[in-house]
Amino acid sequence: MTHLDIELQHLKAEAIKMWTLVNLQLNKGKVSLLSLDKDLAREVILSERRVNAYELKLDRDCENIFALFNPVAVDLRFVLAVLKINNNLERTGDIVEGIAKFVLNVDNTFDKQLLEITRAVEMYEAANNMMEDVLEAFDKEDTGIARRVFQQDDLLDDINIKANKIVADYVRTHPDHIEPALYLLSIIRKLERIGDQAKNMSEEIIFYIEAKVLKHRSKVEKSKE
Amino acid sequence: MINEIKITKRKKRSQAIAFWIFRLLSYSIVAILFIILSFIIFKGASVINWNFITQMPEEGMTKGGIYPAIIGTLCLVAGSMIFAFPIGVLAAIYMNEYVKDGIIKRIIKQMTNNLAGIPSIVFGLFGMSLFVNKLHFGDSILAGSLTLGLLALPVVIRTTEEALKAVDNTFRQASLGLGASKWQTTSKVVIPIAFPNIITGLILSIGRVSGETAPILFTVAAYFLPKLPTSIFDQAMALPYHLYVISTSGTNIEASRPIAYGTALVLIIIVLIANLLANGLRKYFGKKVKMN
Amino acid sequence: MYKIESKNVDFFYGPSQALKNINIAIRANTVTALIGPSGCGKSTYLRLFNRMNDLIDNIKLSGQVLIEGEDIYGRGINVDSLRKNVGMVFQKANPFPKSIFENVAYGLRVNGITDKKIIEERVETSIKQVVLWEEVKDKLKKSAFELSGGQQQRLCIARALAIHPSIILMDEPTSALDPISTAKVEELIYELKTKYTIVIVTHNMQQAGRVSDRTAFFYLGELIEYDETKTLFTKPKEERTQNYITGRFG
Repeated sequence: MTHLDIELQHLKAEAIKMWTLVNLQLNKGKVSLLSLDKDLAREVILSERRVNAYELKLDRDCENIFALFNPVAVDLRFVLAVLKINNNLERTGDIVEGIAKFVLNVDNTFDKQLLEITRAVEMYEAANNMMEDVLEAFDKEDTGIARRVFQQDDLLDDINIKANKIVADYVRTHPDHIEPALYLLSIIRKLERIGDQAKNMSEEIIFYIEAKVLKHRSKVEKSKE
Repeated sequence: MINEIKITKRKKRSQAIAFWIFRLLSYSIVAILFIILSFIIFKGASVINWNFITQMPEEGMTKGGIYPAIIGTLCLVAGSMIFAFPIGVLAAIYMNEYVKDGIIKRIIKQMTNNLAGIPSIVFGLFGMSLFVNKLHFGDSILAGSLTLGLLALPVVIRTTEEALKAVDNTFRQASLGLGASKWQTTSKVVIPIAFPNIITGLILSIGRVSGETAPILFTVAAYFLPKLPTSIFDQAMALPYHLYVISTSGTNIEASRPIAYGTALVLIIIVLIANLLANGLRKYFGKKVKMN
Repeated sequence: MYKIESKNVDFFYGPSQALKNINIAIRANTVTALIGPSGCGKSTYLRLFNRMNDLIDNIKLSGQVLIEGEDIYGRGINVDSLRKNVGMVFQKANPFPKSIFENVAYGLRVNGITDKKIIEERVETSIKQVVLWEEVKDKLKKSAFELSGGQQQRLCIARALAIHPSIILMDEPTSALDPISTAKVEELIYELKTKYTIVIVTHNMQQAGRVSDRTAFFYLGELIEYDETKTLFTKPKEERTQNYITGRFG
């Protein structure tokens, strides 16, 4: 194994560590949302700092590899992909932090029925699965798994679109719960964005393994290519 | 456009002219050599046979062979090489490997060059006064060999020096870098690499020595000897001198003319054989230290 | 303690100053790259460490060069044993006109080792260290010139390793090699780091990046910048360093 290989493996291991941390954060966020566990929410917010530290470290690692090894071809694409995935992961961490802050702010009168009718929990689970799948695709260098993620995103889009009407109806019948309902709507928006991050990361993985650029194509094209 | 064609034409023409001149000149060198050789072969080949090479001269050198002259020349070549080669090579090694750049090195170098420029007749006179008279060697193979050796010395030194200079410095550095001493470096690395080129020096000096007449004139050469030399203190006949004698002051110059050409041919052949032999040696050692 | 240290080193070839007040400290088991344009003094500096410059006439050195704390230009220093401790690899592969085996054994023999067993053992381990054993084990008796350029260079590294130095100096060791052989030698340098302290002069900046821990940038006989390679290649402090490594040297 060459010196560069060792560095790349190290970079990959670091990226997977950060990724695992973000996924764990996402999971904790879900539990705290379901149980309105404020301690857990605080934990999520705290761990965001570690994610940020990872982001800086990965940035620096990529920078060093570019400067010292001048990678080309698949090595170049890999480092570029990690650089962008790093960014996506950090954004995902921020979004989960936002969800945790919502849990902290909400009071005990929050109507959990809202979570069910908007299918927010189902959506959260789907987003979570997507992130797990992309991580697996990255770890195993499996573009098949990466392509599946594009289809999973349909569900998130669907729930996101329908949520508007559901929340509007709910607010009409429960005028005293307007505020939490609007918050929840913003969480649904955030989850939708997590789906987008997962999709971007899948694109990066396919780019680095197959050297194909899938950005800005339709979903059908993406999962077929 | 037209101008360009003109220029191209002119360039081509001048190039063609230059080529033709060069070609003519180099062909003419070959032609001259060829003419000389064929002249000598044509005139001398008829007398050459086994007896010519192995018999004593007879009837005032108008008949018989040139055996003692051949033997004498071989002795003188060998003797001068035994003297000049070790001294020349060691001197060159000392100068190239040991002496630092400076006044001493420059003086030695200048002296070597001067030595090479001295006319051979002066060597002859010097050899006579030193070896023959002062050291009482008399007219002998020893005195002649030493004189010829002196003549060959600058050639040997210069070619050996060139051979040593051609050895890339990194070989020396690599050897010294491994903790080898200067002498280990010189003897185990530098000389083996330079050896094929040192042999070239030997070839050149053999060629020079075997054809010289002047230095042996006063130190060894005999007009005519009925027997072969038995020790290094004996006089000897030698091919170049023999050639000179029978074509200028023989008993019957006209009668011995064919023998003169035969002698010249034998001399040329001996030099040729020496060159081929040395060349073969050089190639053999060269293969062993082949650079890439 | 530093493995190699130079303090206020000035160096002259006759009247011209080749090195100006160079201060560098090198730790053991690291790779240090010396970079800079031709004639900047990096090769001269490298050759101070095994006193190879001594071979040149009319030189003058001031300041101190310490190896393992000892001034190698001080009195009572045995240059031969210094050079045993400091191996050197040259720009062009220069195996001796001997067999592959004898090339590696040469350093042992000139240092007085005569035990056949020890010699054979050391030759084998040295050739194995440079990952050449599989390629040459059946033709050890053949001339070293039969090897390819890259193999010859690795053989020269093995030759240097055989006498168990602790420091290896490399003077543009890959500049005459093709990219594949270059990569092999670079990998080798990376592996050898665990056992040896390596100082390498290179014209190839990417090579400095790939193999070295620290890099020193020389310009016109001066040490402009000496830092961790990572830092020097991402955030050089000196404008001249930046201009050189980005290829904008004017």
